[in-house]
Formats: sequence, structure tokens, C-alpha cells
Amino acid sequence: MNKQTKVWLVISIALSLLALGSACGGAKGPDTNKNGGEATSATAAPPSGPTGTISGVISFNGTPPAPKKIDTTADPVCGQKNPNLTTDDTMVKDGKLANVFVYIKEGTVDGGKKVAEYTWPTPTTEVQLDQNGCHYAPHVLGVMVNQKLKITNSDATQHNIHPTPKLNQEWNQTQANGAPPIEKSFARAEVLIPVKCNQHPWMKAYIGVMKHPLFAVSSDTGAYEIKNVPPGKYTVVAWREGQTPEEKPMEVTVTANGAAKADFAFGTATSSIAPSLKMMPAIEFPMIGKH
Amino acid sequence: MNRGLNRYAILVACATFFLIIAGALVTSHDAGLATPDWPLSNGQVFPKMVGNLFWEHGHRMVATTVGMLTIGLVFYLYKKEERDWVRKLGMFALFAVIAQGLLGGLTVKLMLPLAVSTAHATLAQLFFCTTVSLAVFTSRSWMAAKPIPEVKGSLSLNYLCTTALVTIFLQLILGATLRHSATWDQHLPTELILAHIGGAITVTIGLGSAAIATLRRYKDEQFLTRPATIALSLLAVQLCLGVAAYMTRLASPGDPQPLNPMIAITVAHVACGALVFVSTIVLTLRTYRVLNGAFVGAALRGRPSVRSQDWGGHRVPPLQ
Repeated sequence: MNKQTKVWLVISIALSLLALGSACGGAKGPDTNKNGGEATSATAAPPSGPTGTISGVISFNGTPPAPKKIDTTADPVCGQKNPNLTTDDTMVKDGKLANVFVYIKEGTVDGGKKVAEYTWPTPTTEVQLDQNGCHYAPHVLGVMVNQKLKITNSDATQHNIHPTPKLNQEWNQTQANGAPPIEKSFARAEVLIPVKCNQHPWMKAYIGVMKHPLFAVSSDTGAYEIKNVPPGKYTVVAWREGQTPEEKPMEVTVTANGAAKADFAFGTATSSIAPSLKMMPAIEFPMIGKH
Repeated sequence: MNRGLNRYAILVACATFFLIIAGALVTSHDAGLATPDWPLSNGQVFPKMVGNLFWEHGHRMVATTVGMLTIGLVFYLYKKEERDWVRKLGMFALFAVIAQGLLGGLTVKLMLPLAVSTAHATLAQLFFCTTVSLAVFTSRSWMAAKPIPEVKGSLSLNYLCTTALVTIFLQLILGATLRHSATWDQHLPTELILAHIGGAITVTIGLGSAAIATLRRYKDEQFLTRPATIALSLLAVQLCLGVAAYMTRLASPGDPQPLNPMIAITVAHVACGALVFVSTIVLTLRTYRVLNGAFVGAALRGRPSVRSQDWGGHRVPPLQ
């Protein structure tokens, strides 16, 4: 080995060590609790006194897309436990849509303060996300900022849980069968964080992270109820998953001990466009006609 | 020329091609983060390879094998190869495969940032190019090649081939960026698709010109016409695969998981792209080898090109 080769060898080893070091240092611990939560000017405690509710039903107009069968041959355990596994992105029963996340986006509480100006205490109860039959249950869920999320694995196979947030810290963790629950939390409000399992790519869930407890998820009957809403005027939003998630807002007034209604409807008119047609912009020329 | 060395170099090149396919399978299955660990998989050397872990850990095993083969190649070169620049190229291959392994680790640890994933895919092609070049340089046909008087055209063949090679390499970077910019359940960015289509047109013009010029000017020189014909044929296949990959990828966001037709076609598109690249490299190296005024060995040593030079260990007279 001549001198020049030795020099290159030393440089390469140094670069390699540098890259390895950055790899180890780049993956910081997934504990988001230390971030202290999103910076906010909210200081006031939530208003006391009588509250109301917001409830409603989520309908689905048109013919819902048929659930698609999932091929689980890559992991026989999945097929044994859940032989009829299908997609659950559009769960419609009698025209009612499940798994829609409904939440108060903004509004003014009676007395003049914005809802964002209040600080709700973080619940001490955990919210559970289970992996059962190579399927997330529940499919859509909500937690408050810094509330504990308990992730369990009820399958006889290993999973990895990989949320892909935009505002919170991304993490990816394996959970073997029989492993103890994983406890996590999210430091920032975010609607909604997709969660996937990279070992079983069909597994998907969505987590709504809110600064207040004023949210709910529609049940199999399409019904939802947001409890303990302080009297006021709010913008309530219904969020539904999709390639481009759909959000439908509605203005709602809540009175003390009152029960406000907010029904939402989604449908094939906005979501059932064939994927090929959705991609048609890919063959457009973006610059044409825009100047 | 050592026949065993050449065969071993061909083996390393073939293993590298298989590694590229294994890597493409990881991307198409969205299996890159099937384990958050690196270099171990879920803390194990041999984990239970179920689900997407089969693809990710399988890729790591193939990569380890290629790394070992490359170390063996360097030893073989230093033992049997007399040309210093060929031995240095072997060392470069070793550094490239180490860097490639570290980049692979970075993709996992940093959770697939686009820049790192693209760099990993691009370096894979460069490493493949290096191993194929070593197979070419150690081959009998390379040693036995005689200078050919250059047939004059509007543009020199060396220039045409080099231009084609650069455009293909840029197109490979674009393709890698496109592939890693969205997972199977997301739509690909329109701007990148348009850029990749533009790149395909440029490559077709560039490689088509180089290959057709070769076939016209040197129709009796198999040393040049064979890689030109192979490159041109692969380009035709690659264009068809590109259209097919686009069509299957259009529908994939609506699928519950990556489906086999999309996986097979997109992986074939990646593999064929690599073959177009290396066949063009072979063509380019050979044109530099035999045509007037150019000499690869001298170029790699940084010496001026001389007609009468060290020609694979033999001295050859200048062309008249």
C-alpha cells in the first residue's frame, strides 16, 4: 500500500466514523415529555359552572367503497388470528360513518375568552392503542397534549409502531409479542398523526392530539358526543382520513346544560374519485396558463 | 490477465446487481423502517424474518455478503493485479461499499430523510459502476483490445458516450429522488415526475445518439457494437418499464398495501436502469480504450494521453 492509498484510507475511516457518530446522535430519544409542551399563552383554568354537550351523527352519502381484502401471507400469524382482515378506512353501517374525529377547532367561550386561552389539565388516565390481529384498535383516537398513550401488542408476532407527525417528534419502536406496553405522549397539538407498522404495511391508525378535551370519535353507528363543553360559540370540525384528509367545519352554539347538534355528511362525491383520475395533474404542465 | 480474478470481479458485479434489486424491494415494500435498529435488526443478528422484516433484513444480509466479497476482491487485486490504478479502483470500491453501508444505517437511524435515502440509492449505482468497471478492466477482451482508427463524425464517440453516461447518472439521481419522495400510499410529486420524464427523453437522445453512432461508425467492431446494442435494447425495455411503473404506481395509493404488480414493475425499472447505466459505462470505457487520442489507464493516472503507452502490461505502437 503506497502513501497515497494510506492517506485515502485514513480519510475514509474518519468520514465513516463521523457518519456513524451522526447516525447514533441523530436518533434522539423518543421521549417527548421533556419538550414541555407547545408554547402557548393559555394560562386560565377552564371555566367552571354548567356545561353543555355537542353531539351528532356522521352520515355517508352514496355507495361506500367495499372494504378490500388484505393479503397477510407475509406473516402467517396475522392470517391465523384474523383470516378476514379488510381495510377499515371507510367503515359505513346503515349509511353512518365510523372513525370520524370531531373536535372544537376554535371559538369563544361565554365571557369573551377564546377557547385556546384556557389550559385544561392533562388527564391522568391513559388512552390505549392495541395491536390485535395485525390491526390497530381503535383505528382513530384522540389524546390530550402530554397525556399518556399506552400501546399494547395482543398478537403472537412483533410489530413496530411508527407515528409520522409533522409537528411532534417522529419515532419508531419495535414491540415484540409479549413485550410490556409502550407508553408515549405527544408534546404538541396535531390533527391528526398517522401511525403505521412498517412490518405490516396495511396497519394504519390516526391519533388526534389536542390541547383541550373537547373532541370525540364517531362510533360504529356514526354517533359522537363531546361532553363538558363550556357555553359559547365554536367552530366544530369533523375530520375524516383519506389520501387528502377531509375536514368539514360547522358553527355551533352551546348553552349551559344545553345539547347542541352538529351532524356531518361525507360522501363519495368528494372521496371516491378513481386514483388514476386523482393523479391526472401529474401529466399537466404546471407552468402553462399560470402567468 | 488473471482469469480467476476476472471471474471473481464478475461475481462481485453480479452480487452487486442482486443487492440493488434487494434494495429496490425494500423501498417498494416500504420496509426500510421495519426495524428501528441498525446494524442489528430488533437487537438480533438473525431475527425472525416475517412481514417486511424479511425484505429489510434480507437486504442487510445481501449487503454484508457484497461487502465481504469486495474485501476479498481487494485482496485478490493486490495479490494478482499488476496495474496500480486497477488496485486503487478496488480500494475505491471498498470505501464505497463501506460508505454505502453507513448511509444505509443513516437512513434507518434518521428515519428515511429524502436526501440520505437518495444518496444511498445513488451511491449504490456508483458502486455497481465500479464493480462492473473492475470486471471490464480485468477481462481478456480489455487486455487484448487493439487501437482502432477513429472514424470521423460530427462529434467524437468518446464525447457522445461520456455525455450519455452523465445524463443517465443524473436521471438515476432523479429517479431515486422520485422513488423516495413518497411511499406507496402517497401520490408522487408532479414536478419530479415531469423532471424524470424530461430526463428519460434526454437519455433517449443522448444514449441513442452514442449507440447509433457506434453501430454506424464501427459496425465491424464487436468490442464496441456489442455494448452499444445491449445498451440500446435495455433502453427500449427501460422506457416501457418506466411507463408501466408509472401506471401501476398511479393506482397504488388506493391499495391496502404494496401489491405485487407494482412492486415487480418498479423494481424491474430500477434494475433495468442500473443495467442501462453499466452497459453505457462498458461502452464508454471501451471507446476510450480503443479509439485514438484516449487511453483509460493514462487518464486514471493523471498522465497526458500518449499513443504509445502501457497497454494492459504491453507496449503497443502508435496508430498511423
